[in-house]
Amino acid sequence: MIKLVTEEEIEQVAKFMKIDVHDHKEYVEKVHDMIDFFDILDSAGVEDEEVTMTDLPLSKLREDKHIPFEDKLIEKLKNYKEHYVRAPKMV
Amino acid sequence: MNLKISALEYVEQVKNGNISAEDFVSATIDRIKNVDDKLHAFLQVNSKAVEQAAQVDKKVKSGEKVGSCFGMPISIKDNICIKHSKTTCASKMLENFVAPYDATVISKLKEQDAVFIGKANLDEFAMGLTTEFSAYGPSRNPWNTDYVPGGSSGGSAVSVSAFECVASLGSDTGGSVRNPASFCSTVGYKPTYGLISRYGLISYANSIEQIGPITRTVKDTAFMLNILSGLDSHDNTTIDNENVDYLSGIEAGIEGKKIGIIQEMIGEGIDHTVLSATNDAVSKLEGLGAICEPISIDMVKYSVASYYTITATEAGSNLARYDNLRYGYDFPVEGFEFNSYISKARTKFGPEVIRRMILGGFVPSSGHAGKYFLKSLKVKSKLTREVTEAFKKYDFLVAPTVPILPFKIGEKIDDPVALFQVDINTVMSNLTGVPSISVPYAISNGLPIGIQLLAKQNDDKSLLQAAHALETTVNLPEVPI
Repeated sequence: MIKLVTEEEIEQVAKFMKIDVHDHKEYVEKVHDMIDFFDILDSAGVEDEEVTMTDLPLSKLREDKHIPFEDKLIEKLKNYKEHYVRAPKMV
Repeated sequence: MNLKISALEYVEQVKNGNISAEDFVSATIDRIKNVDDKLHAFLQVNSKAVEQAAQVDKKVKSGEKVGSCFGMPISIKDNICIKHSKTTCASKMLENFVAPYDATVISKLKEQDAVFIGKANLDEFAMGLTTEFSAYGPSRNPWNTDYVPGGSSGGSAVSVSAFECVASLGSDTGGSVRNPASFCSTVGYKPTYGLISRYGLISYANSIEQIGPITRTVKDTAFMLNILSGLDSHDNTTIDNENVDYLSGIEAGIEGKKIGIIQEMIGEGIDHTVLSATNDAVSKLEGLGAICEPISIDMVKYSVASYYTITATEAGSNLARYDNLRYGYDFPVEGFEFNSYISKARTKFGPEVIRRMILGGFVPSSGHAGKYFLKSLKVKSKLTREVTEAFKKYDFLVAPTVPILPFKIGEKIDDPVALFQVDINTVMSNLTGVPSISVPYAISNGLPIGIQLLAKQNDDKSLLQAAHALETTVNLPEVPI
């Protein structure tokens, strides 16, 4: 059977999703099986179907108001220093 | 202390002074100590539960106003935030995450003097249907501990079934309340989309997921729905239920109601004992005065593929926030470049979550979106249209909740596509937003079978009446643990 998804593609998607996948092969096989299963959608005959959406007008959204947070949220975060979140270096 | 009582019986007994909340909660904690080593329903047990129950007793004795739960011990799926308590989503990624606020459902239950007995186990980030994908080990089915309890709200269903609490909250994205309810012989409810606020539920697939109660009886579900439902300014998808009382008139019956039997849900691959139980349930519904007829909903065949495409896409987006910078586990940032740090930190996700994130990156990506994601949205639209049409003719739809019996732990864990197909009867309700309920119906070879009833959107009250009617026709044995 022709593999629709290659190991390189999985590697690329994993990189894009910021996932460090060690054993690509294991994921290729399972993700391939899953995607193969999704091919059933081709026979659904929905090409002419409109995608229906529920619109939520802005007037229905709650008022955007500031509610003071009683706790010190920063202390619940990882790797913080003073008032900042510490992140790894960008370069 | 008899723990084998319903939520309504519990409330009545505490209200009348026949039992104290403290004694009941204390006995519940003892029960958890006795059985949970075998079942693993809980990730954490509330060490202050007995003390909190004693406070409720004080209120009862002093004549102070007491909330309608009267200290009832309730377990909460560990993807729902309780302020100042750990909310792990059964993931190593969030193993030390302490929620800074209460979910709306938690605030509502607190107002009604519920006691949260503990946080229940689940598949990691609610992705799964066996609870085997919990990073802290699987829960086990109390009917036979070699078997899966269903999922992803497996811990919730186990805790209700095994008398480790009176009721529980789970979340249902594709059947995650109804599937374990069916496998553990409890009632599981997926309300109309928007009926219960999702504020404080850690998101998996926002467009279709809902919080739902797991209880021993349909009346208990109605009781819980009275507390939990309604508009919430924190969740703009909530709908106004106009303070419907779901409990009143629950015994109205189903005389003259029309029920469609969904043919695509009792076809190929169904276990013969599940089919036989379904046919029997249909006969019982007819005996209660309903008119049952077969109905075909063509898009059911494509619903599972559509469901997994949509949920993987939304999960890929929702899980992007777990970068271990804002919250996560101890893993110092020193010595890493930004992107490699995040990739490294995210290795704490389990294999199923990683698979779904890869899928979630793949199916909506350029060159593939038309084939998978767009087509899935179209299937969802057509399915919704077919279901809306069906409800013009029928008051309710019926099918088995799960087409097969509970299976052994480990039996399907390496076959994600086989697991997908277990969802075929439950995902339709999520994709279309209609309410559905799993009612315990039969026991076959010592394993439970649930029957699912569905109603049109916002017809939750009638659905509970139909489910209660079906429930009255069965008399099931007690869980053997």
